[in-house]
Amino acid sequence: MLARKFEDTVMPHLDAAFNYARWLTKSDVDAEDLVQEACVRAMRFLSSLRDGNPRPWLFAIVRNTWYSRVSRRGSANEAAAVSGQDERPDEALDPEQQLVQQDTVARVRRALEALPAEFREVILLRDIEGLSYKEIAEVLRVPIGTVMSRISRGRERLLESLKATAPLEVLR
Amino acid sequence: MTCEYLDRDVDAYVDRELGAEAEAAVRTHLNGCAACRARVTERQALTRVLRSLPYHEAPLRLRSRISAGARRSRSIRALAVMAAAAVLFIAVGRGTALLGPVRGDGSATEQVVDGHLRSLMADHLYDVRSTDQHTVKPWFIGKLDFSPPVVDLASIGYSLAGGRVDYLDGHPVAALVYQRRQHVINVFVSPSAGTASRGPAAESMRGFHVRRWTSGGMSFLAVSDLNDAELDQFVTALRAS
Repeated sequence: MLARKFEDTVMPHLDAAFNYARWLTKSDVDAEDLVQEACVRAMRFLSSLRDGNPRPWLFAIVRNTWYSRVSRRGSANEAAAVSGQDERPDEALDPEQQLVQQDTVARVRRALEALPAEFREVILLRDIEGLSYKEIAEVLRVPIGTVMSRISRGRERLLESLKATAPLEVLR
Repeated sequence: MTCEYLDRDVDAYVDRELGAEAEAAVRTHLNGCAACRARVTERQALTRVLRSLPYHEAPLRLRSRISAGARRSRSIRALAVMAAAAVLFIAVGRGTALLGPVRGDGSATEQVVDGHLRSLMADHLYDVRSTDQHTVKPWFIGKLDFSPPVVDLASIGYSLAGGRVDYLDGHPVAALVYQRRQHVINVFVSPSAGTASRGPAAESMRGFHVRRWTSGGMSFLAVSDLNDAELDQFVTALRAS
């Protein structure tokens, strides 16, 4: 019964949980460990899941699991190995455009990774995972106003660092 | 509507998080203000690039491991309920009080061997994979209400490989995984009823060897397909450490 509910509600969001974990941990191995531990917790807390979107609920569990791990280990950024292997260019573009696109994606990814965690995670939840401000506030357990200001400041910083490394026409 | 107002709300506008009225006011302002239009365009471009970042999908092995874990936790729970019901049924049927665990050693050995096999088949040997006892031991904190002793015996050829939380007889136990050549040894640790030291007692089943002993308020069950002599050597070293 519980396993069925888990299959129906949590498993469809496993990719999202992994992607989120990958951004938190910056490592494939750590992301796998984190998602596995988070899913064990999710299974245990499954009865507390109300109707509605299970995604913010699952993100909150992944995030809490991560922060309790980090506080156990004492450091957030110890496993910051970054691989650039999956920046495949779009085949429909000509070679020069491909290079530009590849370069932009790599730069944006680096800029996002360099952002302080409090800004990185709101941008991730908003722009990549598509959560609403209200849902992000639930995940982070902060007021919506805080979510708004972190998104603003995070995007400002991202734009600044991107403008600093190259002209911005690639963003247009 | 002024440019200063948009300073604060440009992101909420781009994200469609303003109410309909505020959104209309922003649009009116944008019609007459090229500077703010540029700001909005820039934000939208940034959002677009962010969405095109490579998405990390969950590896297949992780997906199947989690599915298997969910199913297993169900079947174990169902088993535990059935076992409890059976004990109760026997006790009531005989008109006697419940005198503690009714199961014999045989069924316990079977459970241990099953636990060992399950860990090998479901590709779920470790929740924490590390050869460092100082990594494995703290990993159990918060997952179990006891702290299992963890030692590495690599110096004599039995290397610690990791650990996980497993279930025996419906109770969570610490499972420590050791490796000897290609053989895996699972050591299940849980709190024992008393503090007396007992064992080790040896049993075998379906080609697997089991050792059970109690010391320091913990009961230990070691199971492996390793030969008897080496398993004994391992257990002696573990008890001495």
